[in-house]
Amino acid sequence: MIGIVGAKAISGVGNMGRFSRFIWQSMVASLRSCSKTHTYSLIWTQMYFIGVHSVPVVMITGAFVGMTLAVQTYGQLAGMGLEEYLGSLINIAVVKELGPVLTAVMLAGRIGGALTAELGTMNVTEQIDAIRSMGTDPVKYLVAPRILACLLLTPVLIIFADLLGILGGYLVSVVHLGINSRAYWLHSANAVEKWDVFIGIIKGLFFGVAIAVISCYKGFTCKEGAQGVGKACTEAFVASFISILALDFALVVIFKAIYDTFWPLRSMV
Amino acid sequence: MKKKYENNLDTEKSSNGVLSVKNLTKRFGTNVVLDNISLTIEDGKTTVIIGPSGCGKTVLVKHLIALLRPNSGEVYFKKHRIDNLSENELNNIRTHYGFLFQGGALFDSLNVTENIIFPIRQHCKITDWKEVEELVKSKLAMVGLDGFQQFYPSNLSGGQQKRVALARAIALNPEIILYDEPTTGLDPIRSDVINELVLKLQKELGVTSVVVTHDMNSAYKIADRIIMLHNGKIIADGNADHIRNHPHPVVQQFISGQVSEEDLAVLRMRGNISHTQFLPRDFE
Repeated sequence: MIGIVGAKAISGVGNMGRFSRFIWQSMVASLRSCSKTHTYSLIWTQMYFIGVHSVPVVMITGAFVGMTLAVQTYGQLAGMGLEEYLGSLINIAVVKELGPVLTAVMLAGRIGGALTAELGTMNVTEQIDAIRSMGTDPVKYLVAPRILACLLLTPVLIIFADLLGILGGYLVSVVHLGINSRAYWLHSANAVEKWDVFIGIIKGLFFGVAIAVISCYKGFTCKEGAQGVGKACTEAFVASFISILALDFALVVIFKAIYDTFWPLRSMV
Repeated sequence: MKKKYENNLDTEKSSNGVLSVKNLTKRFGTNVVLDNISLTIEDGKTTVIIGPSGCGKTVLVKHLIALLRPNSGEVYFKKHRIDNLSENELNNIRTHYGFLFQGGALFDSLNVTENIIFPIRQHCKITDWKEVEELVKSKLAMVGLDGFQQFYPSNLSGGQQKRVALARAIALNPEIILYDEPTTGLDPIRSDVINELVLKLQKELGVTSVVVTHDMNSAYKIADRIIMLHNGKIIADGNADHIRNHPHPVVQQFISGQVSEEDLAVLRMRGNISHTQFLPRDFE
């Protein structure tokens, strides 16, 4: 019993060490890639697959989030005679929380799964060893462009989701539920600050890097066979999902502290 | 750049030869795959490693290019110890090698031309694309696949993929080429083409080759030296005649391709082959 617990503990610490080392190597390789123009073509290719192909699903996600929020919250607000405040509630929820988090979850499924499956297949078919055997660092060639593409494009995709979330919420609130359009926008503008939009987008940077690093790591370390690749994809999604929620919580705490400390000082600047 | 890595290398003396391993042991879990192996690969010669499946031939070859690290022992490239180097330091050294993987390991998202020029793009600044196209054409002609430049690996047969992988392995004109079962999956004529190519690269360019194979015809044709591995140890080492006349029964059994008496006894045991007829579900 003690032996099993000890072996699991050692294995867990070993895995954490390998993952930390992978994060470090990936970050160094990504920073170096920024300064080398010949790697830009690799980054562009990944940006196309990661970004352009994700726009429709992210927009659909955002639109449904906005529409569902409008229907769900209308009853409570109307009961208190505050239905005109529906816009402020929907928009602040979309730009601060639901837009970034649900976009990241959607990307973890769409991009994370694809990255893990691609790199996992390359791993089990010795393509990653082939890259190493030709004197090229696979982290630099495979991981860095994917991290940079996710880093740059997740915030952009969050903006798309936010826009469609706002539009979806507006259409349901004004066209279907009959709320006055002017009042809807007025209360929205009063409630949502630039800071709210800003932190939603900044969250995207962290979510993008987390999705890319976890998915690439799972692909690089996946076990042989179709079952190994499938298991790695599942683990990548679960780990990305939990990381997104944990990062979201940590970032909310940090940004709240920053907001409370510095935002009141902006009038002095 | 060459100087940079040479300065970083541990210039401990090793025995003669372009590649050598000393007291190499490799374990996967509790399974000892290579057990205290020492060997030297001579410059400009073709060394063939034979042995039954799972005896550690591929593992040994992967140690020679430091794709795997030993549990104990040392690996040397031109008298420089490489098993303790970082991946960054190894990247420069690996440009001296070509490695043909067992399954080809072609990049399936790249076409044949892009696969072959991959190492060139990584290590050289390409200024004249016509020159690169000519190089790709000549490498493909060497393996009998000129005209397949725009094909993707998924459109090629297993044998064709292996030949493209060989063209990629020799793209940078390496000093050492490691072949992991180069003729497996090829028809006899194409296998012989690969054998001729190994000989040609050795004769014309002085390439050092290490070939892992089960194919004894191929081994006898190309080998200057044959090494046989069994249970993680070297049990025979010498030229083709030495191996043909080797007294070890495992060597004789392997080179003649005969099934062992124990395996035959298992097959002869009554009741091992079931005569039970399984009927379909809808049988009435």
